[in-house]
Amino acid sequence: MSKDSSETPTGFNRHGSNDYVAYFSTDEREVLINLVEQLIELLSERSDNHSDDPLAVMVGITSHDSPPEDDVLLRLLPNAYADQVDASEFRRYTELTLRTKKSAHAMSMRIDLKSSPDGCIEIDHDGANAWLGAMNDIRLALGVRLKIQENSFEELEILAPDDPMRGVYAVYSWLGWLQESLIQALMDDAL
Amino acid sequence: MVKLDEAVDAKIDEAIKELFSSEKPWITIVWDDPVNLMSYVTYVLMELFSFPREKAHEIMMQIHTQGKAVVSTGSREEMEHDVARLHEYGLWATLQRGDQVI
Repeated sequence: MSKDSSETPTGFNRHGSNDYVAYFSTDEREVLINLVEQLIELLSERSDNHSDDPLAVMVGITSHDSPPEDDVLLRLLPNAYADQVDASEFRRYTELTLRTKKSAHAMSMRIDLKSSPDGCIEIDHDGANAWLGAMNDIRLALGVRLKIQENSFEELEILAPDDPMRGVYAVYSWLGWLQESLIQALMDDAL
Repeated sequence: MVKLDEAVDAKIDEAIKELFSSEKPWITIVWDDPVNLMSYVTYVLMELFSFPREKAHEIMMQIHTQGKAVVSTGSREEMEHDVARLHEYGLWATLQRGDQVI
């Protein structure tokens, strides 16, 4: 992960009463756009399996009620019940809505990044919640790929320089730091 | 108007009470997750449930140290709504009847 070394990284900071500001280098902005676009694509998968019944689609009912086979999607769209029958029923009526809401968070983050070629992002409280949701979904997805466990950080810190997972872990860690900076800025408000 | 004797009356009251109370004991559980930041879990609980910071922090610590915590109780519909909102923000949540073993 390359960073602009000329500026001290600060992540998000509160600006005024209800705005949050961050400055990203060209590389950082590109990485964030890339990640959020991958998330949008991931959430749109299975859309070809939608029920052909336009009324069912309109009210958010999908034809599939089985959990996603991909581990990443399963983490983003988890079962609501331990019981499989209840879980399937719930999924049939709610999965499409959940995908739509998660996509909306990601799209909001993408638009903020795309509309700021200088890398200066300024968002309000709702925008901050959308960024938090989207950054968290990206971290959950990367976490599944990295097989993150409660104590796996030590192993991941010492990955070989040529290990492709090393770069993924660097991005994962940086996103965690960025997310934390936005949470702290928001929590300062709550005091 | 038919006058019911008191014993029958009481029985009906009890049955009604049970019927309505059986709508209540559903619970929403949030499970520990190695990816979600502790501060993020606290923040989401504050945002979604309007918990004061101390209460949100306490529940987050329970999730972190005990692997899970009950975050809300109510009717099945209410708990399905809560689980959907928690899923929207990436927390790992399930709902079940309150009298089931967690």
